[in-house]
Amino acid sequence: MRVRRLTVRLAILLLVLAVWESAYRAGLLSPIIFAAPSLILSAAVKDGWTFLSAFRVTMFEIAMAILIAWSVGIAFGVVAGVWPILARICAPILSALIAVPLVVLYPVLLAWLGLGPTSKIVFGTISGIFPIALNTLVGVQSIDRGYAVMAAAMGASRRQIMFQVMAPLALPAIVSGLRLGTALIVIGVVLSEMLASTDGIGFWISYHRGIFNTGQVYLGILLALVAAGIANAALSLIERAYSHRTGDDANP
Amino acid sequence: MSIAASARPEKGDIITAEHVSKVFGSGTQALRALVDVTFSVREGQFVTIVGPSGCGKSTLLLILAGLVPASSGRVLVDGQPVSGPSPEKISVMFQDAWLLPWKTAIENVEFPLTLRKVPAAVRRPRAMSLLDLVGLARSADRYPGELSGGMKQRVAIARCLVQEPRVLLMDEPFAALDEQNRTRMGNELLRIWERTGRTVVFVTHGLTEAIYLADRVFVMGVRPGRIIESFSVELPRPRSIDMIGSESFGRLRNRIWHLIGEERG
Amino acid sequence: MTAWLVRGVQLVLLASLAGLWETASRLGWVDPKLLPPLTQIVGVLFTLLQDDRFRGDLLITLGEIAAALAVVGPLGFAAGFFLGEHRALYRALSPALHLLLAIPKSIFLPIFIFAFGIGFLQKLVFAVTLAFFIVVLNGIAAAQSVPAGLVTAARSFGATRGQIYLRIYLPAMEPLILEGLRMALIFTITGVLLAEMYGAPRGIGRLIFAWGEMFRMPELFAGVLLIVAVTIAANELIRFIEDIRRSRRRGF
Repeated sequence: MRVRRLTVRLAILLLVLAVWESAYRAGLLSPIIFAAPSLILSAAVKDGWTFLSAFRVTMFEIAMAILIAWSVGIAFGVVAGVWPILARICAPILSALIAVPLVVLYPVLLAWLGLGPTSKIVFGTISGIFPIALNTLVGVQSIDRGYAVMAAAMGASRRQIMFQVMAPLALPAIVSGLRLGTALIVIGVVLSEMLASTDGIGFWISYHRGIFNTGQVYLGILLALVAAGIANAALSLIERAYSHRTGDDANP
Repeated sequence: MSIAASARPEKGDIITAEHVSKVFGSGTQALRALVDVTFSVREGQFVTIVGPSGCGKSTLLLILAGLVPASSGRVLVDGQPVSGPSPEKISVMFQDAWLLPWKTAIENVEFPLTLRKVPAAVRRPRAMSLLDLVGLARSADRYPGELSGGMKQRVAIARCLVQEPRVLLMDEPFAALDEQNRTRMGNELLRIWERTGRTVVFVTHGLTEAIYLADRVFVMGVRPGRIIESFSVELPRPRSIDMIGSESFGRLRNRIWHLIGEERG
Repeated sequence: MTAWLVRGVQLVLLASLAGLWETASRLGWVDPKLLPPLTQIVGVLFTLLQDDRFRGDLLITLGEIAAALAVVGPLGFAAGFFLGEHRALYRALSPALHLLLAIPKSIFLPIFIFAFGIGFLQKLVFAVTLAFFIVVLNGIAAAQSVPAGLVTAARSFGATRGQIYLRIYLPAMEPLILEGLRMALIFTITGVLLAEMYGAPRGIGRLIFAWGEMFRMPELFAGVLLIVAVTIAANELIRFIEDIRRSRRRGF
């Protein structure tokens, strides 16, 4: 039962928190490295508002990056999927580029776009766009052509075939690409804020690290995880609303 | 038993193939899949095409359907040359039903009408009555993932009929089913055919199935693909399983078997 | 379209991009202070490679990467292999493992600094942590990829444990081991560079970040170019080895 599983998970969580707090109180753990639930709580009380407004900034950057990465990534994947020549030319280049640690491009973005949200949005977009494009490409390529033949036999126009037959068939692969890409976008945005910015969750994490406020650092990390969780949950919602309509064999 | 039909389309012929050839590739790599295929099918007939693998029977069907262009020669459907799919006249069914997994059975049957933007109030009852015809009225709201192979093929048949075509082209639709289901589906198909009076062109590599279902059997040869001979099946309708054991059935079957055997070389 | 044609188009594409870069920068279509000409960057790179201090930083970074790889590779793979062989244990730990894999570990970087400072050790531990779970998963997959039938057959011939591991397991797992190596490399490189950029006394990551802050674009681009070239080369080298080994294996 789902309720039971939820309560078990909640119980485990509370247990972990209790053990954590007691270890802190007993002086077993270094407070600088490990903090404690109470420290995080007091950090929230003290700097809660700052963090919340920073959260808004970060979510904005994430949302913008998602907008760009999703649309460009999917568009590219679809176009390359229906033009095998384009795919053959681009795919090796793209998969070679995956080896590059994207973080090294960040100083260039900073120099060009400054410390503000723009560099974070661009960095987030770059971080997430590759898995989205690649997964979309694979999803489109692996569609059984028979569906298209069948639809053509029924007299469907090219447009109808693409949007009413091929697109839904490619959707599961696209969604898994979006899942991975979105996670990378969130991390990319937060990391870029941590490295250099003027606001956002990452900025405040770095700020409090500098003055050894472990509670605030953990609070910031927690909020970053929450941001990732929100993005993931939103994606699951979209996926659930869609796969609700399919039978068992549509979702591998 | 008569020999190959003449090329001139007679009145009442719904499909005529005139010197249809299909070549894939070019130069020394050219593959002559079909050479000078000529035959006609009378409206309302159930015709089967049988032959060894590689004889081009599926290619022929795709050409008849307008999905693949012929390299030379032409196909006339109802007097008009075929230049592309004409779903109001011809419906095609394949070995894989290719039902859209995210649509229910009835939504799949309606799909050709949905593409034509036919309003729901018109297409729903039509789809429903066809599902009823194939015996799946109760599964209308099930998804393909919940249906068996035979049921999926039946939905596909209903979908083929929803645009009220004159001709049903079928490319080994029951090949993926086990023997019992195949026989059952064959009988189902005959029942539906008799009810609706459409013309059926049925491609198969099973001899027994080809003779059992048909009014006429076209036997194809391989390398190059062409029609070697055609036979009328004089068995009475409605067909029943025990006809398969009869002497005339056996004789016809042997003749065709030898023909194909010689072809395979 | 033949393979040669595709290769040709790729080369032309890359060459024209390089040409465009050079032209745009030299002719002032883009601000050459923001995007220096490619030839200038390559020139700077050559100069840097002859500089002792730069070479020192390079060595430090490479040392951190090599050390991290040497730790996470055997450790992670062994752990994964052990789990793969002991299904019950794997099943018990699987939810925890997947949870840890799903949590983005890079945002915990400030904590690593609290715990280990900003020296060599911190880079090592951080990179190992980033790569660890991927390698474990890879080890599990590798263990599970060995066809049980082969092991049974070998045992029936009286093969010893050692012989089975050497002659059956190792060859069977080779493709996954190579792929795991490639993944570990990508993650350790990313981890080391990220940690260096965030805070370090020496290292290539720190260098390029500093150059960016000082708007020394030619040096920045030289460093980025070097990193991009080396990472792509390393990745493609392992891919190449994987391909060769795969074609030798044939049907295994």
